Amino acid sequence: MQSANILLQPGVMPRLLQGLWVTIWLAAVSVALSVPVGLVTGWLMTLRNPVIRVIMRIYLDFIRIMPQLALLFIAFYGLARAWDWNLDATGACVFVFVLWGGAELGDLVRGALESIPAIQYESSYMLGLSNWQTFTHVILPQAVRRLLPASVNLATRIVKTTSLATLLGVVEVIKVGQQIIDAHRFDYPAGTLWVYGVIFAMYFVVCWPLSMAARYLEKRWANE
Amino acid sequence: MSEPMLTVDNLLKHYAGAERNVFDGISFDVPKGKVLVIIGPSGSGKSTLLRCVAGLEPIQGGTIALNGQVIDRGEPGNEKSGRAKRSSQLRTKIGMVFQSYDLFPNRTVLGNITMAPVMVQKRPKPDVEREAMELLKRVGLADRAQAKPHELSGGQRQRVAICRALIEHPELMLMDEVTAALDPEMVHEVLDVVLELADAGQTMLIVTHEMQFARAIADKIIMIDSGGIVETSDDPEAFFAHPTTQRAQEFLRTFEFSRHRRTEKDGAGAQTA
Repeated sequence: MQSANILLQPGVMPRLLQGLWVTIWLAAVSVALSVPVGLVTGWLMTLRNPVIRVIMRIYLDFIRIMPQLALLFIAFYGLARAWDWNLDATGACVFVFVLWGGAELGDLVRGALESIPAIQYESSYMLGLSNWQTFTHVILPQAVRRLLPASVNLATRIVKTTSLATLLGVVEVIKVGQQIIDAHRFDYPAGTLWVYGVIFAMYFVVCWPLSMAARYLEKRWANE
Repeated sequence: MSEPMLTVDNLLKHYAGAERNVFDGISFDVPKGKVLVIIGPSGSGKSTLLRCVAGLEPIQGGTIALNGQVIDRGEPGNEKSGRAKRSSQLRTKIGMVFQSYDLFPNRTVLGNITMAPVMVQKRPKPDVEREAMELLKRVGLADRAQAKPHELSGGQRQRVAICRALIEHPELMLMDEVTAALDPEMVHEVLDVVLELADAGQTMLIVTHEMQFARAIADKIIMIDSGGIVETSDDPEAFFAHPTTQRAQEFLRTFEFSRHRRTEKDGAGAQTA
């Protein structure tokens, strides 16, 4: 129990909270930028044009097959080499998470759009609605309902995946934890578990409400 | 009879890759204020014919005219061109009720009905809502105005769908087997509404499998099969009592049932044993 005192050392909790803030910021910016990218990607995926189809297919498969860590290394080390495109670590992380989140969300958007029955388009046509009115007032509201629970789950995955940013040297919550553990290696050698325990609790506090929200939305819109 | 509201002339419909045409030059018209009922066996293309008139299917030949004005002209080779390019304003003149589940699930009953008149016809919302409530009262659903479609029975949904089409004051109403997906006990509540519309002078083109209903509502009947019109009649009573073509006789006979069990007299021999 003695080793729990590591958490009471001056600066430990504030620094962990700062690290958490970086994690949340990184995730929030990535999710926020993934939304427009995902909407456009999803729309492109529903088009019949064969060239666009192939390009979108390759994009999605490439992102899905590659481990996120490999993508991060390519973005951080590779892009600078290849095109002299100097991304800092945080920039590289946001870039990769948006590329990944956009592709995954795009596939969800595509699935939601394609699941709307043709008769919804047809009755809108008969009522005289324009294509734009049909999309914004009939199709999109229904698609969003089908899409939202899965998108919230995707956001949870993005929050968790930001921990990989540590490996590029971004000082987010895991990195802060490691620094704290290193600094107290001699006075609290058994403090590791406590620090990681707090980090676990922090992730839980962020992700649990998200996954509850997803479950709630799923239930609420199940029969509409 | 009065002048035609809808004139279909020499309509030709073909699906991409299909060997033969769905319709090989079908012609008919619907006079103003009258009800034309289309009957025919499954797969004869009744619904497709209605969908062509609606503009939901491209046609490859012939013309469709509303009030003497051609609104659709067939073009060979346009099988994959999708819905006809009709203006919003023109589309409001033709109302359609589908077989099932065409209400917008994210809107209330009232929201479903008021949406198009407000957004497309730019009518003031209070007026539209007032009229919507009157229509709902007419079909016996005034108390369900705030319900969502999934809370309604199939028959109630179809009555709402009829209100939604009616509120735009369409010149022509298309009914595509509106009771085909309903439980038998709900069929009547929907068809009664359609009968009332006919009494009120609404011009309608109806596809149905309900022969009793067809007989009750039709001013004019056409039977189609294998790409063409088998029989046309301006006298539905006579048509149902004595169809002139053999094909129509055969078709109508499929709706009749006769008792198969032996009667007492037939079974007399068995009883003695």
